[in-house]
Amino acid sequence: MLNVITNKFKEVLYSVVPIVIIVLILNFTITPLETPTLIRFLIGALLIILGLSIFLLGVDIGITPVGNLMGSFLAKSNKIWVVLAAGGLLGFIISIAEPDLHILAGQVNSVTSGMISKFSIVVVVSVGIAVMLALGLFRILFNVPLYKVLIGLYALIFGLALFTSPEFLAISFDASGATTGALTVPFILALAMGVSMLKKDSKASEKDSFGLVAIASAGAIIAVMIMSIVSKADKITSSLEIEISGSNLIIAPFINALPKIIYEVFLALLPLLVIFLVSQKISFKLDKKGFRKILKGFVYSFVGLVYFLVGVNAGFMDVGTAVGYSLASLDNKFYLIFVGFILGLVTILAEPAVHVLTHQIEDVTSGYVKRSAVLGALSIGVGFSVALSMIRILIPGIQLWHYLLPGYIISIVMTYFAPKLFVGIAFDSGGVASGPMTATFILALAQGAAEQIEGANVLVDGFGVIAMVALTPLITLQILGLIFKMKSKKGGLDKDANQF
Amino acid sequence: MQINSESTEVELLCVIVNFGLGSKIMKTSKQTGMRGGTIFLGKGTVSNRILEFFDLSDIRKEIVLMLGEKETVDNTLEELNKKFHFDKPNHGIAFSTSVIDIIGTKSIDSNNINIEKRGAEKTMYNAVFVVVDKGKAEAVIDAAKEAGARGGTIINGRGSGIHETSKLFSMDIEPEKEIVLILAEEKITSLITASIREKLEIDKPGNGIIFVQSVNQTYGLR
Repeated sequence: MLNVITNKFKEVLYSVVPIVIIVLILNFTITPLETPTLIRFLIGALLIILGLSIFLLGVDIGITPVGNLMGSFLAKSNKIWVVLAAGGLLGFIISIAEPDLHILAGQVNSVTSGMISKFSIVVVVSVGIAVMLALGLFRILFNVPLYKVLIGLYALIFGLALFTSPEFLAISFDASGATTGALTVPFILALAMGVSMLKKDSKASEKDSFGLVAIASAGAIIAVMIMSIVSKADKITSSLEIEISGSNLIIAPFINALPKIIYEVFLALLPLLVIFLVSQKISFKLDKKGFRKILKGFVYSFVGLVYFLVGVNAGFMDVGTAVGYSLASLDNKFYLIFVGFILGLVTILAEPAVHVLTHQIEDVTSGYVKRSAVLGALSIGVGFSVALSMIRILIPGIQLWHYLLPGYIISIVMTYFAPKLFVGIAFDSGGVASGPMTATFILALAQGAAEQIEGANVLVDGFGVIAMVALTPLITLQILGLIFKMKSKKGGLDKDANQF
Repeated sequence: MQINSESTEVELLCVIVNFGLGSKIMKTSKQTGMRGGTIFLGKGTVSNRILEFFDLSDIRKEIVLMLGEKETVDNTLEELNKKFHFDKPNHGIAFSTSVIDIIGTKSIDSNNINIEKRGAEKTMYNAVFVVVDKGKAEAVIDAAKEAGARGGTIINGRGSGIHETSKLFSMDIEPEKEIVLILAEEKITSLITASIREKLEIDKPGNGIIFVQSVNQTYGLR
């Protein structure tokens, strides 16, 4: 009878178990871990499974409905200033409360020796997101094709990139990952769906459900780039201390991580809660039952995300660093690249927003685009991005933009050929892939490797990994789109003819 | 339309299963002679007090619609029941209803459809369809449950009455609707419709519609 819960649980189990298996295999073969680290990893995995299940249930009945309601409320206002003002306000308060953005801003502040203050970067990025979210909603309402908007935005980004130093290039692309956190992405996805669901033309309604996350995260990139150009802080003048905590304790790290994470998750959830309460008063007017249901959803999201993040931070991070470090110490560097690929492949499955996105894709396309297909393409994409990042750490001559420039050119060119539904899905999954799981585990892996490799800079090589994870899915998912296109062309006629 | 003795009866087969099983249902059905079908997504409810307290009683469903001759439909239903065990709890439900005409498939000749025999079969169940504005489906299900229904399936849809089509900015919109499908025993059908009619004030214009179809065969209802 507990169907709903067991279904979610199973789904989450299948997505966390692969990474556990890979780490265990590594432990017993090439990179033995210390026992306390391993035990913490296993406890962390349990917390992640539990937390992710609860969180996803919460998103289903709390965050997504609020986003949907909000989207259709904005559209139904039928006043352009309402959409622009509310879109901007939403974007601003969501991103200003995003914990990842504060961490990134803190890092930028210290690497520039205080030339760019933490406060200013948080505000500027939030303004960037606000403007882009409003623009993204405008695009859906006025039927501006997504690929045209993306081409415009990326042309602007390329232009700005010419004046941005390599170090800041990495930081600005990472900023896009930092602002698309575990709570923001489901909300923005639902917002876009809420608006486009109203459309009469069901093809347009389907494809316009995607792309808003992509546009919003481009705002973060542009904001940081403009900031670095204006403030002329184009050099990294000081380095960051990355602490590798080789704690031998087992339970303590979890308890120590708890207060900070509770605070951060609460802070990130607060704007969504306020938005919901205010809109409930002025427009949603849900009945008591519906109102309570959404509130319960918020509680589940909160509890689930806390469990999840505690598990990731206290259980997974050290394993990432340790595995990266010992892989890089091996004589055969091929292992580092290969294991990086495999870890990328499995880590992305446990990313919270990935579940939300793939479910939304199934819902919007009535199951035509299968979850497993999207997951496969995402996995392969992230696998490649981690492998490529490892190569970059090994060979100092390769700079981040050597990857980013051709990568983005390919993805932009592909938008012409790929089915438009997949263009939206692909660019959204860029933001989706760079969530808390990659930002901790994969980043720790890269930093651990960079720590060991001579000539690699922990900071510079560390930044930019997220940028890669956000890039490769753009290509693999558009390839998936092209495959779908080819397949449906071949068999399409026969199938349609025999419908019913 | 000609009616002769060799006429065929056409039925609509509807299967509601947990998400992910739709394609398998279709595959099995094709083996027993169905020519194809349409799958779409819905949301089911389960009656469970604990889950209801936590507001976790929604579950994703897939609904499969297939058309075929009566005999094929009967065979398929039996085969599906054997394979997917609709008789066990939470394994889905399947039912068939009569169809008056069918156009667009070569396998069934629409001129030979027999509509004379309609109603000859003893029907125990009815399918109640309620179309309401988005957000009201849960209220419909609650009303139906009060009158004795076991649950229902919610399907998202769009649609509009004659006064409703409109344009927001540059997009043409159609208001979102929810379709609620409830299978109920014949003797309580009228109680259910009355309850929904009263609770949702269906009689006032723009509040939705209800229609009831008789069902020929059902599997998976208890």
